[in-house]
Amino acid sequence: MAWKKPAPYTRGTLRPFWEGLTQRRFLLPKCNTCGTWYFPPAFCKNHKNEPFFGSLSWTEASGRGTIVAFNITKVALRSAFKDDVPYVYALIGLEEGPIISSNIINCEASAVYIDMPVSVVFWNIDELNCTIPYFEPDLTVVQSSQLNP
Amino acid sequence: METNHKLSGKYAIAGLGMVIGVPEKELEHRNAALPGHPMLANAVASPLGDLTAKDLEAEAARRAIEDAGLTTQDIDGAVHVHGGPRSGGGTTTHLDAFPRMLGCPVNFYYLVGRGGAWGTMGIVSALSFLELGLAKYIVIAGSTEDWSRSHSSEFRGQGNRGHIQPSTVSSMWSLPFGRTAAAHEHSMFASRHRYEYGTTERQFGAAAIQVREWACKNPLARMYGRPATIEDYEASPSYIWPYHVMDMAVSSDGAIAFVLTSIERARDCAKKPVGVLGIGFGDSQGGQWWEGAAHYTKLPVAKAKEAAFGQAGIQLHDVDVAELYDCFTAELIMQMEDYGWCAKGEGGAFVEAGHIGPGGDTPVNTSGGLLSAYHLADLTGISESIFQLRGEALERQVEGARIALVSGHGGEVISPGMCSLHSSLILGVY
Repeated sequence: MAWKKPAPYTRGTLRPFWEGLTQRRFLLPKCNTCGTWYFPPAFCKNHKNEPFFGSLSWTEASGRGTIVAFNITKVALRSAFKDDVPYVYALIGLEEGPIISSNIINCEASAVYIDMPVSVVFWNIDELNCTIPYFEPDLTVVQSSQLNP
Repeated sequence: METNHKLSGKYAIAGLGMVIGVPEKELEHRNAALPGHPMLANAVASPLGDLTAKDLEAEAARRAIEDAGLTTQDIDGAVHVHGGPRSGGGTTTHLDAFPRMLGCPVNFYYLVGRGGAWGTMGIVSALSFLELGLAKYIVIAGSTEDWSRSHSSEFRGQGNRGHIQPSTVSSMWSLPFGRTAAAHEHSMFASRHRYEYGTTERQFGAAAIQVREWACKNPLARMYGRPATIEDYEASPSYIWPYHVMDMAVSSDGAIAFVLTSIERARDCAKKPVGVLGIGFGDSQGGQWWEGAAHYTKLPVAKAKEAAFGQAGIQLHDVDVAELYDCFTAELIMQMEDYGWCAKGEGGAFVEAGHIGPGGDTPVNTSGGLLSAYHLADLTGISESIFQLRGEALERQVEGARIALVSGHGGEVISPGMCSLHSSLILGVY
């Protein structure tokens, strides 16, 4: 199905993130010295940052986390999302520390809960030649019975 | 608390003007509710029609100058306040500047603001011009045409609520995920507060209902004449769960302007001076990546409150009327906790007990707030504080109000779901 939604912005400081996704790798910036993870890139709070962003390296992360907060859109406010409702937009606390936001897919909206373990889904958008990071219930942790109460 | 009375008593607001858009067919009825009252001289209901927000802003500024008993020729400084170029509701196109439209001989005109701290950013910056003697009378004005914009083709049919936002670079991260409205970010606060503290839908509803009760006493409020019950709230649509439509602020057409000057000059003006007693700011940016979920159950009130209350030399119990930034109901409930009217986590129960509405012991958002009156960021609270402190608040007057608290909240989207800034402003009469 054609991608009608707004295209992800894959340039700028997040370019390595988006390039990693096309290779099915979930990369986050990590401090070379103290190992603190960031998203999006930042100046490490613990260290000198020379050159610009110099103390961080894009490093493969687990792609796993838990839901911190979420909402369910029941009526699409833009036509591009009409086929998706009800859809879940969530804040995901990644295992490594940073919080990221995305949709929770492969799951009924009514089954989503805070603290739910989730993992990344690499979703290819062929016509844009990019891969978008959705999340789905992490079935290595979530019992399938929890998804169908 | 260490007090610093540098601000108290030095500067004051000398005049207020506002033009607020109301439904066109209700215009006559609304203005009929105002006659014979001083409010009529400086506040008027008007549909936008062919006017732009900037036209309304010039009219609001004209009314503010007149309200102060001044002329346009007295105004030597001007500030346009707004939410910042990349924020949501309230950022308007700058077709023209009000001092030029009015012919004010100003020494400067600039634009300032961030998120929901329009007026407070305007005041804190204008004070330095007064302090340095670069101006005597500064008009601070802001405007919006979000309501009319919501009728444009891009936004049609969305119920004028929840501040649907156009595409911008700053929102590009989340747009592909369907983050199309401010409610997609702000409802994260409600989601997390429910989880952490068991806050219920009816408690969020209680906040919306009590603020609505105030709006029904304000002929300028969008929701004037539209009382609502908790059952109405529960039956109202929930486009973006956990929020109902009534949890979201209205979007507005309108403009609010006021004159800032020294207390000495304000005493020679036509109206009772409203003193600027304290200003403080707080921001949650510094900790966002390592405090994580903690950011979604509180606002950065602590530092803002400490500074503003310290300068004013007051405690919370001295606040007679609070005009808090209620872009969504969770922000209101969190501020009840963060300012200390109740303990953390008890904001829902506190509001549900009826403290903040008419007849309650803690009057909050007596205009009807952003939820039910008009959304001009903290200009909504500043204008209502001026009415309350001058005793001009008609049917919604809080008897003997002498100290008012106005808060602002918001900012660019700097993480997946957060507005980081908080401002506290203390206004008072002597």
